[in-house]
Amino acid sequence: MMRLNRYKREMSTALAYVVLLVVVAIIAPSFCSGANLRDLALNNAPVLLVSIAMTLVILIGQIDISVGSQFAVATVAAGWLAKSGMPIPLLLLCVILIGASMGALNGVLVGWLRLPSIIVTLAMLVAWRDALRWTTGGEWVQNLPANFQWFGMGQQLGQWTIVLASLILLGLLSWALGNLAAGRAVYAVGSDAEAARLAGIDPARVTFAVFTFMGALVGLAALLNAVRFSTVPSNAGLGLELKAVAAVVVGGTAITGGRGTLTGTFIGVALLGTIGPALTFAGINPFWEKAIQGAIIMLALGSDFVLGRVKRLHTAHPQITQIP
Amino acid sequence: MQLAPPWRARLFPNNEWVLLLVIALECAIFSITGNNFATAANAFEITRLSVEVGLLALVLTLIIITGGIDLSVGSMIGLAAVVLGGLWRDAHLPIVVAIAITLLVGIVSGSLNAFMIARLGFPPLIVTLGTFSLFRGIAEGLTRGIENYSGFSQRFLFLGQGYVFGVIPTQLFILMAAIACFWWWLHSTIYGRSLYAIGFSPEGARYAGIPVARRLAFVYILSGLVSSLAAIIYVAHLGQAKSDAGTGYELMAITAVVLGGTSIFGGRGTILGTMLGLFAIVILQNGLRLSGQPAELAGVLTGVLLVGTIVFDRVSMRIRQAANADKQLSEEEFDLRNSQLAILSGVILVAALIVTGGNWWSTRSLLKELKGGGTASNAGSGAAGHKPVIALMPKAKGDPYFVSCKQGADEAAKELGVELLWDGPTDLDPAKQNEVVEAWITRGVDVIAVSVENKVGISTVLRKAKEKGIKVITWDADAERDARDFLINQATPQGIGYTLTDEAARILNNKGEFAIITASLSAANQNEWIKFIKERLAQKYPDMKLVAIQPSEGDRDRAFAETQTVLKVYPNVKLLMAIAAPAVPGAAEAVQQSGRKDVKVTGLSLPNMNKPYIHSGVVESIVLWNTVDLGYLTVYAAKALITGELKPADKELRAGRLGVVEVADGEVRLGAPFIFNKGNIDRFNF
Repeated sequence: MMRLNRYKREMSTALAYVVLLVVVAIIAPSFCSGANLRDLALNNAPVLLVSIAMTLVILIGQIDISVGSQFAVATVAAGWLAKSGMPIPLLLLCVILIGASMGALNGVLVGWLRLPSIIVTLAMLVAWRDALRWTTGGEWVQNLPANFQWFGMGQQLGQWTIVLASLILLGLLSWALGNLAAGRAVYAVGSDAEAARLAGIDPARVTFAVFTFMGALVGLAALLNAVRFSTVPSNAGLGLELKAVAAVVVGGTAITGGRGTLTGTFIGVALLGTIGPALTFAGINPFWEKAIQGAIIMLALGSDFVLGRVKRLHTAHPQITQIP
Repeated sequence: MQLAPPWRARLFPNNEWVLLLVIALECAIFSITGNNFATAANAFEITRLSVEVGLLALVLTLIIITGGIDLSVGSMIGLAAVVLGGLWRDAHLPIVVAIAITLLVGIVSGSLNAFMIARLGFPPLIVTLGTFSLFRGIAEGLTRGIENYSGFSQRFLFLGQGYVFGVIPTQLFILMAAIACFWWWLHSTIYGRSLYAIGFSPEGARYAGIPVARRLAFVYILSGLVSSLAAIIYVAHLGQAKSDAGTGYELMAITAVVLGGTSIFGGRGTILGTMLGLFAIVILQNGLRLSGQPAELAGVLTGVLLVGTIVFDRVSMRIRQAANADKQLSEEEFDLRNSQLAILSGVILVAALIVTGGNWWSTRSLLKELKGGGTASNAGSGAAGHKPVIALMPKAKGDPYFVSCKQGADEAAKELGVELLWDGPTDLDPAKQNEVVEAWITRGVDVIAVSVENKVGISTVLRKAKEKGIKVITWDADAERDARDFLINQATPQGIGYTLTDEAARILNNKGEFAIITASLSAANQNEWIKFIKERLAQKYPDMKLVAIQPSEGDRDRAFAETQTVLKVYPNVKLLMAIAAPAVPGAAEAVQQSGRKDVKVTGLSLPNMNKPYIHSGVVESIVLWNTVDLGYLTVYAAKALITGELKPADKELRAGRLGVVEVADGEVRLGAPFIFNKGNIDRFNF
């Protein structure tokens, strides 16, 4: 019972998700078909990967709202590299590296120069997207080699690969976060950076590593998403940052850092990703999706308060423990 | 002991005087490179454009000083705008009452933020991230995304579009009053001072007897109020109220505040700094536009400036800490000033180099073009060899549809030997369109050609251009008739709607269910077409049923997901009609992957992105017109207007390789919509 108490928050989210599923199943039974669930998994796989990385970022008390723009850049890069004839394994490596370098840039500015992450990633959000638009001129990448879509594996196999890859990564990272020293370091830095430093964990290094990892995972997500189609658009990832942050917060990770699980994030992604299609199945005007998402975030925060998980009079930057 | 003169430290506690230097530098550079930059008219236009963001920046200064943030201000503008529009138009309340209620709505919304942040203690970042989404969502829900309130009275519009003494924009007075109030409140009252204490250390402030929760609640409620005020001015300025009002304004406001020396950690900041920061950004954007640089450069430079400022702020804080530790205040301060100056000069220098470099490069290429000469303009346009300048603006520079129009426009510009300016918002943004046109008026171009996103709002500024003797044409999407000389019409919305419906009927054999995937539910063009589609259905095809309209928001992946859902929810749907360029390939991919061979896709899109799907048979046909020809024709018509070849009563126009084109009723018509299918698509490349 003691163990379960720690997961009160995640359980309440899971409950909400189950309730939603039941309601939709009653109103529109066709929702719960295997094909629909598979499509939901596929459409939300990129969001899941990005949300996993976002969980880590929020765990250390930072935020990264440039992920949408990074996603767009990585997508176009994947298209260009594939067109130049790069073999798939090398392509995978390169796109991940490109994402990682964008993340590293954030990591240097936030980790070492200790700039506020909201401002840095805000600036990057604008800079990457504008730079991308400038270079591509809005053109899509067409005429890709045949082995690009589904990695040349065909639709069935390709779909399984993508879903399995994201679930395996989720499982691995969930285990690592709870059991590896590096994982504990993330929680430590998020709880109290100064105490972590005194305990021998370097917050700057952890921050840099987390942002770089974020970039790498964004790159992977972009590639896994891009190979579902035969052309590459120039404006991918619109609104991705909001989706990821919402999923993480709804999933029970405390925004102040130091507390949260990847399982919660997974439930958050599932919950928020189901709302849109659920509205369509229920015949409700798709407009209300944004309002409902905003309301769910508020509710999640509300339940955080009820469960006594919020420190009062908190400022936006918990890692500042000294008075300047 | 060299202490800084007291007035300098009091006025610029965070060394904001450096921003004065930046602004002076920008003005110096742009008065050389930009046309008509250094005129009184342009100066006032700059202030008009900055009032709405300025109001937001003022209240955000207060919030950021307390160590918080408010990301919901832009969305609040959207919500307040539609509330104002709805109250005035649908509830028929007098405008003053509507304004009062709108301000009240602002207060209530601000209270939501205030309650969660001040009373419950939630992080401002997350709360306002949630309300950012919530307010915008409510605004879209209230209007179903479609409503566009317009037709406000002249007296109301004077607030946002009028001039006092002929040259001072009306809203400038509001901004001045707001600056004065905020300045006095923040710097001269104990309430203002308490905000600094709260930002510095909330716990310490509480122990000092300051009612922290109450003060915080006040600033967030104030934020809601000021945002609705900004919304009222926005609506008066553009003449319309839509749910997408104020999109992106929070970004610009926060940038201005942080640039102005306010520390994001709280505890430091001045109103003067914020205003200087705002003007630095606005002048940068205006100057770059007048110098003919693309809008993206402004975005990148603003980002660089922002990051540079914070690095500088951070570094100087470290130096200051080290200085305090040494207790040799005066000498360290002196070194501090030097190093601050050095770093900031470096940033300014880099920015200046980029702008100059860009200008030098474009000047060089222009010179090459003129020297390489021998084009028609040297022979044709007389008037001291002045090369005609045609300014062309799309709805969105990033949209491949408009990119293909530019191809044709470039081709025509080369044939005719005219200078073509191509600028506009990167994404759909009616307010930005106004800004760009204003810049072109100041610059003094010969023709302005706009693809209009906001009919009512742009018409005012287009009329202004006409008064100044600039020729005005619209293309692709029209403004009000008296605001332009001609419309270059590729096809009427009726023609498009009817052709789409007829194609659908042909594919479905006149009976069956189909669904529409549109752009965004509030897109004006698409909604026009949907109107005519429904009309045609009722007229000729009673056995066909439209079961759903889903948005794609211009995102291929979203169109893909929506189509998948539609196929499952409405299993009898045999046709998807996707009426936005990226939506057709998205829908086609979804149909293909579902394995449903009985479902087809049609719609409105560009040939290249659909070639694979047309060849595989999923997409039966796409309806369009030759977008390259549209751009080509626009430039030819523009040139004809300048030379006087095209007059209001004309019945036809010679347009280069297009031959003779029909002119009627103030429109230059490209022709009927064109249907791309398997038989002809390979002939096209755009």
